[in-house]
Amino acid sequence: MKEQISAWMDGEISIENAQHLLTSVKSGGQSAECWSTYHLIGDAMRGNAQYKPDLTQRIMQQIDLEPTVLAPQAKKSPIKNQTYWSVAASVAAVMFVGWMVLQQQSDSSNVLAPIEIAQNLPAEYLVAHQSSAPSGQAFYIQPAAYSVTSTQGGK
Amino acid sequence: MQKWLPVMLLAWVAVISTPQQAFAGQDDAWLILEKASQAARELSYQGVFVYQSGNNAKSVQITHTNYGQGEYARMVVLDGAPREVLSQGTDVMIFSPKNEKVVIQKRRGQNMFPALLPSSMEAIKVSYQVRMGGQERVGGRDGQVVYLDPKDHLRYGYAFWADREYGILLKCVTNNEHNDMLEQIAFSQLTMMSNQNLDWFKPSLDHNKAYVMEQPSPSIPPAQIEDWLIGSLPLGYRKVDQLMLTVAGKPVPVTQLIYSDGLASVSLFIEPLMHGVAPRMGHTTMGATNFYAAVNEGHQITVVGEVPAATVAQFANAVSFKK
Repeated sequence: MKEQISAWMDGEISIENAQHLLTSVKSGGQSAECWSTYHLIGDAMRGNAQYKPDLTQRIMQQIDLEPTVLAPQAKKSPIKNQTYWSVAASVAAVMFVGWMVLQQQSDSSNVLAPIEIAQNLPAEYLVAHQSSAPSGQAFYIQPAAYSVTSTQGGK
Repeated sequence: MQKWLPVMLLAWVAVISTPQQAFAGQDDAWLILEKASQAARELSYQGVFVYQSGNNAKSVQITHTNYGQGEYARMVVLDGAPREVLSQGTDVMIFSPKNEKVVIQKRRGQNMFPALLPSSMEAIKVSYQVRMGGQERVGGRDGQVVYLDPKDHLRYGYAFWADREYGILLKCVTNNEHNDMLEQIAFSQLTMMSNQNLDWFKPSLDHNKAYVMEQPSPSIPPAQIEDWLIGSLPLGYRKVDQLMLTVAGKPVPVTQLIYSDGLASVSLFIEPLMHGVAPRMGHTTMGATNFYAAVNEGHQITVVGEVPAATVAQFANAVSFKK
């Protein structure tokens, strides 16, 4: 069916012979999904403006215009169980101690201590570099996120 | 005197022609690289090449045609995540599967293997010296080796293998100053195509996944006017682009300046330091890529590039701020 839809969109099957495809796409489900995916890819490859953000904006506007369903919602019962509170209290205590330790370590002049770049690789900058540099293909062959995790794993 | 003149002339010709021949050898080598750049863009071919950086290696299947109506190419990463790249002229589309989705990213064209070399060698001639190597077989094809040796320590050296019949690049190796291999990309198989149909020029679809376009990051206005100055940069690098980069979680955009010497490229990032964000400092290496971070006048400077450690440091030190 998918091959047929693709062939139909490419004009390889005439409309007279495609009534069953039309019915199938109209009825929704997988065929309709397939139809829209093919169109999205086709549009993107042709550089059509269809997929551009204003499409999302138009959809959001449409949603805003839809009436809001006002129905009373059941009230959630507050947590009564005592064990939850004790767990929460101990978590908070541990966090407070951890925070105190951190404060003592780094609070010397109200400025955070610099971290070594080797300990915190700027992955987003590597991606930006790879995707805009005039030469190179590491961007798609060796995605930065992958390389970064593999380096950290090796240490 | 009269009868000695022809002899002297001959001697003079012999003297001046010796260096000329050496230059002719260099001209030939430059010509091979120029031809390699053209062949990669003008020929129609398909094959598999392997990209290697550090311990990671990935093979990529490439199909490229140009029958006078422009370039069409499809590249499929065969190992790991099945990323795919379709390019037509200078438009590049990347299909990357992410969990239940396939993200479609649009990019502008880059010099990608085997079209790794720029169409003009002029920029490269400033910073590199060419040297003819031997003949070696790569991926079942006969190749001519040509080296580009850096004239200084501010860039890496490269070795290229050009197909002796078609001129196209078969292999490229990046070496550091100690001649250790940092990165390699080479065809394991390459054939020319004469079939003119474009049936192959479409991504393979996964019907169980949703296809989504990458959303362009919302542009935020720069918080202040450019208050930085770029001083003297490493020789041979010139600015090719300047972008405003939106980084997740950062309230102001980051300035990205891109420099190239024709082969190697460097990105310089400048941003104001944020309260409560620990600045990055120091230097690190990953494969052929060097990173350098520094703090200067309340700004974070980050440099990323496929260049030696000294070069990224020089870029960071070239930034100063208007008082």
